[in-house]
Amino acid sequence: MAVNAAEAAVPDAASGNSIWSRAWQNHAPGYLFLLPWFIGFFGLTVGPIITSFYLSFTDFDLLTPAEWVGVDNYVRMFTNDRSFAASMRVTFFFVIFSVPLKLAFALGVAVLLNRGMKGLPLYRALFYLPSLLGASVAIAILWRQIFARDGLVNDVLSIFGIVGPSWISNPNYSLWTLIILSIWQFGSPMIIFLAGLRQIPQDMYEAASLDGAGKWRQFVKITLPLLTPVVFFNAIIQTIEAFKSFTPAFIISGGTGAPINSTLFYTLYLYNEAFSFFRMGYASALAWFLLLLIACFTAFSFLTSKYWVHYDD
Amino acid sequence: MTFRMPRRQFLMGTSALAAAGAFGLRPAFAQDEALRLIWWGGQARADRTLAVADAYAASTGTTPPEGEFLSWNDYWPKLATQVAGGTAPDVLQMDYRFIVEYATRNAIAPMDDYLGGVLNLDDFDEDQLEGGKVDGKLYGLSLGANSVAMLVNTTAFEEAGVAVPDRDWTYDTMREIGEAFKAANIRGGMTGMSDGSGSEPMLDNWIRQRGKPLYTAEGKLGPNVDDMVEWFTMWNEFRDAGYINSAEDQALDTGAAEVSMVALNKAAMIPSNSNQLVIHQSINPDTLTITSYPRIAAGVGGGHYRKPSQFWSISGASQNKEAAAAFLSYFVNDVEAGKVLGVERGIPCSAAVRDAVAPTLSEQDQIALNFVANLGDLLGPLPASPPNAAGEIDTSLLRVLSQEVGFGGRSAEDAGKFFVDEATAILNRAS
Repeated sequence: MAVNAAEAAVPDAASGNSIWSRAWQNHAPGYLFLLPWFIGFFGLTVGPIITSFYLSFTDFDLLTPAEWVGVDNYVRMFTNDRSFAASMRVTFFFVIFSVPLKLAFALGVAVLLNRGMKGLPLYRALFYLPSLLGASVAIAILWRQIFARDGLVNDVLSIFGIVGPSWISNPNYSLWTLIILSIWQFGSPMIIFLAGLRQIPQDMYEAASLDGAGKWRQFVKITLPLLTPVVFFNAIIQTIEAFKSFTPAFIISGGTGAPINSTLFYTLYLYNEAFSFFRMGYASALAWFLLLLIACFTAFSFLTSKYWVHYDD
Repeated sequence: MTFRMPRRQFLMGTSALAAAGAFGLRPAFAQDEALRLIWWGGQARADRTLAVADAYAASTGTTPPEGEFLSWNDYWPKLATQVAGGTAPDVLQMDYRFIVEYATRNAIAPMDDYLGGVLNLDDFDEDQLEGGKVDGKLYGLSLGANSVAMLVNTTAFEEAGVAVPDRDWTYDTMREIGEAFKAANIRGGMTGMSDGSGSEPMLDNWIRQRGKPLYTAEGKLGPNVDDMVEWFTMWNEFRDAGYINSAEDQALDTGAAEVSMVALNKAAMIPSNSNQLVIHQSINPDTLTITSYPRIAAGVGGGHYRKPSQFWSISGASQNKEAAAAFLSYFVNDVEAGKVLGVERGIPCSAAVRDAVAPTLSEQDQIALNFVANLGDLLGPLPASPPNAAGEIDTSLLRVLSQEVGFGGRSAEDAGKFFVDEATAILNRAS
């Protein structure tokens, strides 16, 4: 549609009307239809973002007007805040372990499902289900039950004579429980991997197997390289998701990051600062630092991508 | 959460709000507009509160007040947001912990102007009235007196063959109880008591018996390093001996009644509050009762106090302050209202209401009423209201430290010193 409009605008320039007014006339209905979205975007997204940037330089407790404190909030973050450091450790640990494991698992299942088995749509739907339920409160509560001392996981372990710990209330395991929960929700990267696998031409595999390449060799030499753009996409999306992870930790620890701050995710800490201790200014600064952190990670991924992502051209 | 409103009024209200919002104005509510109330609590409290609101409307011929309720954790963010946005309801439930903060920032209004007028408090307990004052002005109307109390599973005590502790019991008795429960080994190793080292009310009670407040009137920390080391050492001893729950079990308790050590059948006693017997009994098939917190030594009194369990306060931005005050007067003075409310929020503060209500109460409610009314030598003075940062010291310091000590990551000596250093830093930062 945009192309058509541009083509229409060019000949009219000669007939006296400016390109811009013609273009406006052509686009006006489009913008009109977009108006509700624009209002929502600027009113509910851009507005609060700008406000939070301003608030990050203030001391604001919601009850009294914000007080300008300059960069104090940012300074405190790095010099005098144990909980900030603790939440950073927890969050990085979570990102570093949950993202690769989740992607590997998603890719593995996608490869298995790609073999054209019977009842494929059913399996796809089943595996995708946890992702649909997503980071919901219900799932987190269910998870709490499954990993309790007398929960399902320990029941299964006891069949093999293993006495399991109380996964969610032991600081050595609680974060791993959340990582497993995250891996379990592998459905959405899996669907994307599946679509990527379908794009790989079958004749490449046929040629490779004629040359005597085994399944594993085909996977490493054909599937993986051709799939790198999809891996790249999934990695970025999942990393951002992992950094923002909140609900499961909030529910499982009752909002406290317990035991001993072992599940004190960055966003959970931010939430507590804002809504438990009413430090909106400081929480805004924390939010902006998270944004910066995610931006840096994403930029880094893009910069390194040219060394390992192969596009088909 | 419920939100009651006639439909037509709702449509008018929302469209007026939308219109006002478009021009960046706050809606101006008419004088005969229904009062808006907000409180934290469960369904039982909501049913009782709304029944009283309806009765009030019926007796005065006014529009019934509208009510909204949330859980404690959701309540404070919502209220603070509403106050910041200038949309706080006319009447709001307030807690002892936050009343100074809200009063000094004019988020709630003093009620003194209505005293003797629409607000009649002649029959009200003097100490409960004092508890709602900030800088000499009345900002909160106590909805019931309350005290910390040990919640006891009597059925479990019977199974273990141990006598339920009376009000003279001490921390030494706890050793005996712990030993007896260990020997009885009921319900897969139920302990005599949960780990109280991370419980702020328990620390408060213990330090008060030693003659110190947890927080001074100036908002400073009461206990010193020696006190805190002794505190953590005592609980370490209990834990090592198996008298209380392991750190791993204790960490399952994240605050809600449903996951307390008593609800999970892991301990026969937990530190709690007198009015929480009702909610705990409602989720536990065993028979529960309450008793006092242990004494630090035989014959040592004090520690407990009759705390206003919660207040009604009038929003500083309310357009209907006088109507709100009249409603509150009915809420705390009317005998019929008192019968509906029972002791769910604590023991009524009006003597007349208390006398009228007592015979109508359930067994559990009577236990709570008797306990708070007859604290005897356990009753100490009402402490100064806690400083702003007390909540942070509770959740992100005491609780975390007790877990670190429990899991063996920190010694009692270390934790005691760290608590005092860090709590002092938090208090300085907040003031």
